[in-house]
Amino acid sequence: MNLDFQQFIPSLPYILKGIGVTLQIVFMAGILGFVLGIILSFFKISRFKLLGWIADAYTSVFRGTPLVLQLMLIYYGSPQLIGYKIDPSTAAVLSFGLNSAAYISEIIRAGILAVDKGQSEAAMALGVPYRPAMMDIILPQAMKNILPALMNEFITLTKESAIVTVIGVTDVMRRAYIVGGEKFSYFEPILIAGLIYYIMVMILTVLGKGIERRMRRSD
Amino acid sequence: MIKLENLHKNFGKLEVLKGISTNIQDGEVVAIIGPSGSGKSTLLRCINLLEVPTDGRIMINGQDITDKGTNIMKVRQDVGMVFQHFHLFPHKTVLQNLTYAPMKVKGVSKSEAEKTGLELLEKVGLSAKAYEYPNRLSGGQKQRVAIARALAMNPDVMLFDEPTSALDPEMVKEVLDVMKNLAHTGMTMAIVTHEMGFAREVADRVLFLDGGVLVEDSSPKEFFSKPKSERARDFLQKML
Ligand SMILES: Nc1ncnc2c1ncn2[C@@H]1O[C@H](COP(=O)(O)OP(=O)(O)O)[C@@H](O)[C@H]1O
Ligand SMILES: [Mg+2]
Repeated sequence: MNLDFQQFIPSLPYILKGIGVTLQIVFMAGILGFVLGIILSFFKISRFKLLGWIADAYTSVFRGTPLVLQLMLIYYGSPQLIGYKIDPSTAAVLSFGLNSAAYISEIIRAGILAVDKGQSEAAMALGVPYRPAMMDIILPQAMKNILPALMNEFITLTKESAIVTVIGVTDVMRRAYIVGGEKFSYFEPILIAGLIYYIMVMILTVLGKGIERRMRRSD
Repeated sequence: MIKLENLHKNFGKLEVLKGISTNIQDGEVVAIIGPSGSGKSTLLRCINLLEVPTDGRIMINGQDITDKGTNIMKVRQDVGMVFQHFHLFPHKTVLQNLTYAPMKVKGVSKSEAEKTGLELLEKVGLSAKAYEYPNRLSGGQKQRVAIARALAMNPDVMLFDEPTSALDPEMVKEVLDVMKNLAHTGMTMAIVTHEMGFAREVADRVLFLDGGVLVEDSSPKEFFSKPKSERARDFLQKML
């Protein structure tokens, strides 16, 4: 095996710039997924059966089909759906956000149900209405329980984001591929991309552990 | 004043309260006693509408709270409740536990809520713990905070559901002492308890419940020295 990383050093800044693209997609999709996930999880625990049914159907569809298919549906389907072609990174944020909302809603639902029923009873007994009780008492406690799972979802998102390369977003993966094409050698740049993903995931992992530890302090 | 009229509660087919009628006067301390599963908790939980009665009426200060148009939240603001397992908010400090509801639902300012909160903590002997989280407290301390939290809403009535049953024996007294002091301030109280000595000493009246029926409604003296019913005699024999 002969590896020649030397010739890729000039291309390194170009590949590294993809980190920003990747992180931006992951971050925005993460927020979208989180907000939508919370709403869906409220639907799932709602007294109104119809809302629960809608949220369950949503979850089922997004979990039951490949992410890359959802990505391509949204990207290539946009002219027929909304009349114009959206740009690749918007399609990426949308599809990743919608997809992870399905997973996150399940995580949050389980987290809410895991909070001791006595907590909502105590809030009710004080005359606190449902919504503030949920926001101020139940959700903060649920968040603590679900943080590890949420962090996991975020990490998965970071890794999976590499598939945006199929619609031409110039993220880390795409850039490594382009550089490989220029130099007629794909092995090294893809190894470099792998290392970059691995480091990003490790940083996220450490970050997550840190937040978890801080939140655990009130236990 | 609280007035229960023919109160019924079913859980599906299970008839838990079978027509309870009684009055609780202002400033009265009522002990609710009875075997496990007799419906004591359910009775208490009906009074602040944590359970919705199946039939009958509950009047609080002349208002029928089982009426459809009742503002349930308002009723609960005026009826404090203390649970067996405290249910303090673990992510809030002791003082925040006390200030949260007054600020959120009554619109009390933060400074005022904190002032009241600190006064209440002093009354239950826990000023030093104001800025601790509940997990740093003993069971007895937690329950005293829970009492202070309920009092922070300035309720007309306080309901206690076995407030000392989850405590280690050496912590029971500190909680009962706080309740005793509260009784002396003239607070109207309904207390589900297995502490017979406390009931005898502090209660103005004893309600003995068995199988969802109010079997005895009498003074502590009467109840403990010559209970009228066989069931109460059996129960007391087992307890003492
Ligand atoms: N939410 C509920 N759903 C169904 N059954 C219940 C519920 N709450 C209480 N029960 C039943 O009602 C009966 C009385 O319960 P409870 O009021 O808790 O009694 P106590 O406090 O005297 O021990 C018990 O048989 C109990 O299992
Ligand atoms: Mg009970």
